[in-house]
Amino acid sequence: MKKKLLAVALVAAMAASLMACGGGSSSTSSSAPAEGEATEAAAPAAASGEGIRLLNGKPEIHDQLMALAAKYKEETGKVVNIETIGGDTNASDELKKMYQADNMPDIFVIEANQAANWDGLLADLTGEAWTNDTDYELVDAKMGTIGFPYTVEATALAYNAEILEKAGVDPATLTSPAAWQAAVEKIDGMKADLGLTAVFGWCAEPANLGWSSGTHVFAQYLDAGLAQDDTTYIDMLNDGGKIDEARMTNFAAFIGMMNKYSDPDLLVDGTYDDQVAGFAAGKYAFVTQGNWINGAVIGSPDYTGWKMGFAPYAFEDGIDTIIAGPPSFWTVYSEGKVDDAKAFLQWVSDDSAQDILVNQANLISPFNDCKYTAADPFAESIMGYMAAGKTSGWHTMLKKDGLQNKTCQVFAEYAKGTLDQAQFVSTMAQVIASYYNQ
Amino acid sequence: MHRKEPTSRVVIKFVIAIIIAIYVLFPFALVVINSCKQTADITANPIGLNGVSIGQLMRNLSDVINNSNFLFWQAFGYSVLITILSLVLLALFGSMTAWVICRNKTKWATLIYFTFIASMIIPFQVVMLPLISTFRDVGKFIGIPMLQSVPGIVFAYLGFGGAMTVFILTGFIKGIPYDLEEAASIDGCRPEQVFFKVIFPLLTPVITTVTILNGMWIWNDYLLPSMMLGQNGKVKTLPVAVQAFVGSYVKQWNLILTAALLAIIPMVVLFLFAQKQIMEGMIEGAVKG
Amino acid sequence: MNEASGSKKMLSLICLIGGVVLLIWSLALDFMGTKAGYRGALLVIGIIGIIVGMYLLPTLKYHRTLIYVIFLFPLLFAFVVTVIIPLFLGLFYSFTNWNGIRYTEFVGLANYTRMFKQPSFLWSILLTTLFVVFNMILVNLVAFLLALLCTSKLKGMGFFRASYFLPNLIGGIVLGYIWQFIFSNVVTQIFKGMKYSMLADTKTAFIAIIIVYVWQYAGYIMLIYITGLNTVPGDVLEAANIDGANAMQTLFQIKIPMIAPTITICTFLTLTSAFKQFDVNLSLTNGTGSLMFMGEFLTNGTQMLALNIYNTAVVENEYAFGQAKAFLFFVILACVSIAQVRISNSKEVEL
Repeated sequence: MKKKLLAVALVAAMAASLMACGGGSSSTSSSAPAEGEATEAAAPAAASGEGIRLLNGKPEIHDQLMALAAKYKEETGKVVNIETIGGDTNASDELKKMYQADNMPDIFVIEANQAANWDGLLADLTGEAWTNDTDYELVDAKMGTIGFPYTVEATALAYNAEILEKAGVDPATLTSPAAWQAAVEKIDGMKADLGLTAVFGWCAEPANLGWSSGTHVFAQYLDAGLAQDDTTYIDMLNDGGKIDEARMTNFAAFIGMMNKYSDPDLLVDGTYDDQVAGFAAGKYAFVTQGNWINGAVIGSPDYTGWKMGFAPYAFEDGIDTIIAGPPSFWTVYSEGKVDDAKAFLQWVSDDSAQDILVNQANLISPFNDCKYTAADPFAESIMGYMAAGKTSGWHTMLKKDGLQNKTCQVFAEYAKGTLDQAQFVSTMAQVIASYYNQ
Repeated sequence: MHRKEPTSRVVIKFVIAIIIAIYVLFPFALVVINSCKQTADITANPIGLNGVSIGQLMRNLSDVINNSNFLFWQAFGYSVLITILSLVLLALFGSMTAWVICRNKTKWATLIYFTFIASMIIPFQVVMLPLISTFRDVGKFIGIPMLQSVPGIVFAYLGFGGAMTVFILTGFIKGIPYDLEEAASIDGCRPEQVFFKVIFPLLTPVITTVTILNGMWIWNDYLLPSMMLGQNGKVKTLPVAVQAFVGSYVKQWNLILTAALLAIIPMVVLFLFAQKQIMEGMIEGAVKG
Repeated sequence: MNEASGSKKMLSLICLIGGVVLLIWSLALDFMGTKAGYRGALLVIGIIGIIVGMYLLPTLKYHRTLIYVIFLFPLLFAFVVTVIIPLFLGLFYSFTNWNGIRYTEFVGLANYTRMFKQPSFLWSILLTTLFVVFNMILVNLVAFLLALLCTSKLKGMGFFRASYFLPNLIGGIVLGYIWQFIFSNVVTQIFKGMKYSMLADTKTAFIAIIIVYVWQYAGYIMLIYITGLNTVPGDVLEAANIDGANAMQTLFQIKIPMIAPTITICTFLTLTSAFKQFDVNLSLTNGTGSLMFMGEFLTNGTQMLALNIYNTAVVENEYAFGQAKAFLFFVILACVSIAQVRISNSKEVEL
């Protein structure tokens, strides 16, 4: 009797282990043939029903991309699977793991400086029809056109137009440190009347918001006031981690002003949500974010419909530009289903897809022939800068990958007051140089 | 038995015990309370009961459970599947291996045994990186994906859990008198029958111990599944799903704490039912390991 | 009898040959470059066929050996593929410029010499050592006191024991997030005087990690001490009592010496687990924190060794360098373990 029981148990265990293996192999059989076909010919791959995979790094537009995929299926019968990874730094780490696991998506998001990590693995998109309709594609000297721009984003000091108007400050005049100083003191003096907690909603918390200070705010040092294709400071930086001390000192003075007039509850250990929620509730006149906060601000119950815009980080006289352009790109994996991916990207640049991306996802289109304008409350301000040619590049995305994790700590120490202005500059110089020399 | 302690001291000890218990359980209480709130109420007062409602808990739960980065039921299902498969196979193969090591007095058996023991001090970090590339190549070679798949990770747990399992089981089997087996052999049992008929049933208590130890480890393990499964793969365990959910820069504490609550509940429920076995298993493992 | 064994022989041969054929077929498919999905199934069936065939082989002489081989195979195979092969591959890779996929150059000891010139890594070693020392003392002290409390005859001791142990059930990732919430939202609320969260400053963040760790681990170590204390024979305690020893004397002169082996076990457990600390470190602070160390401004103030290794490889994409660091980590841990075994062996001889 016991023997029989044992036999049954043993068989069950064997069956379980077999099922585990069987489960694995059956899941292979659905994906493996698709891979095989892709390397041979593109034609049958489309019919396999597996479709292509797109790795998205912006969780806030995940639902809209799902809608985009549905539309693509409706129009062409082809499938696009959207996979989203939260947080922009995570996407690149996860991609490395996916590559390790031989599980690469066909289209994935990269920032410009990550192109080198994928040397030889990105398909050349030169000659695609959409490249004629945009100025923002990512071109690599070695690999050709590799990045498809899916959005234009802008960042500078986002302001609440209603508050500035009440305070009698014209954002167009904020183009010198002196003008800023005067305006900030004025607003600070009227805080109670305006219902403000602080002039700035600036958050230098490094663990979760390091991308904000280390990449976006740092971007202003690199690009503020420069023409779109001017690479003076990024070239210096990438030449062994050099900085322009005079410019960094002026930048430090400006950040010092922001530290002084910022909400102390937010400055050192706040969160992105607190920052955006505070701005939406009219607690801050300025926040250090970009137009990607539009969805969260409009969706906030405290938002009362006021306009928003961007003012430049004028840490030197005459700085009057904001940073605008695609912060990240979609690239095509050269060992994936390249032709299907190219077809999809071409479709995304066309009318029905742009309709979804602009009108539902509130993205600003990088394509000249796009006839939609985003319902983004920042759109008017951004378009104004773009029309006047007052935009600077996102060259911060070309700094050595991972530098933001170091510099954000320097911003945090400055915000806490453990570093003064001069120490901020010298520490910044030392941290950057040692990171580049590693 | 001996001198009774004065009542005052008993009371003081009791009060101390209660204070410590409050301190230890406080974080759990915070998780429960704040899972029933909106973000605004949490920011306003994370300790108070303002804004606590079952309706809000339900809203948070449905937000978290259906979040595309979390997918609770899927992650829970995979965690259960991976844990159970690993435990069953570890117990079975582990006792088979341990028995052979005990009953086979050759150089080979000794060598295998000491390799197992020596491998117990290898920290996971040392093999983590080449493990991924090995598994990738093995997967390609045999045609079964070993990364981002259930068989792959179960196989890895067999490999990593094997040493400790065999060590504890060998210690136990050594104590079983050989006469038992000889008697069975004389009765005409073949060696495999001796193992499954005589030895395996005797192992129940020690298999319970290793199962608890391995179970606690596999269920809560983060690094191995995060390396082998990735955060966006279809197969995700609960700790990986929690990390994938929270790792995004959107810090909504009500949802994060709800996710934490969901991750905690299965363990706590299990603990309530098998409190004695779990605590004893953990002690046994520590004393023997 | 003869007929039965004859058919058995046939069956066994069929299984063996079939298994080998399937195995070769699946491997041949692999070399021909076909990515057919049934390849894996063929291989598995082939292996099982061979095992069944071996099992059914009608030889009495070698049957026992065959069974031993079959019994050893599954676990040993998994162990070799997951531990042994990666261990040696890793050792090899640490002397190259491996990037996780391939290597192009043999760099000798360059990775090993480089890590000792990297202040952030040296800081991680120092920090981990500090963490281990603090934890070993604190966890053991707290756990021992809890054990004393829990072995006194009080009402509801089962409940207290269980609740002190409860945090140990929860995985480090989840715990880290819960405590991140507590430090950044709750603690600042309770102590209004605090300017900002404990996690925002390197020193206080380090204390925070220790608090979480003691909270999580003390309950488990307490259980082991309770077991140890319960082995102290009642009559010895009674004898001491009759001799007029007070509680302190009983504790220091009887209880502690008698549970010396338990103390060794607990010290060892806290030591190795604190060394390997990763999950809480990742989810609580992710290693952030800044400080001046060796004349450099470091940004990994709370990053312990395990996390440093992980970040070097996975985040900074330096797989070979991370692998070399991992080997140093292994060597440190191995030395500690061996020292530990030596000490506990010599102690047991004394007893």
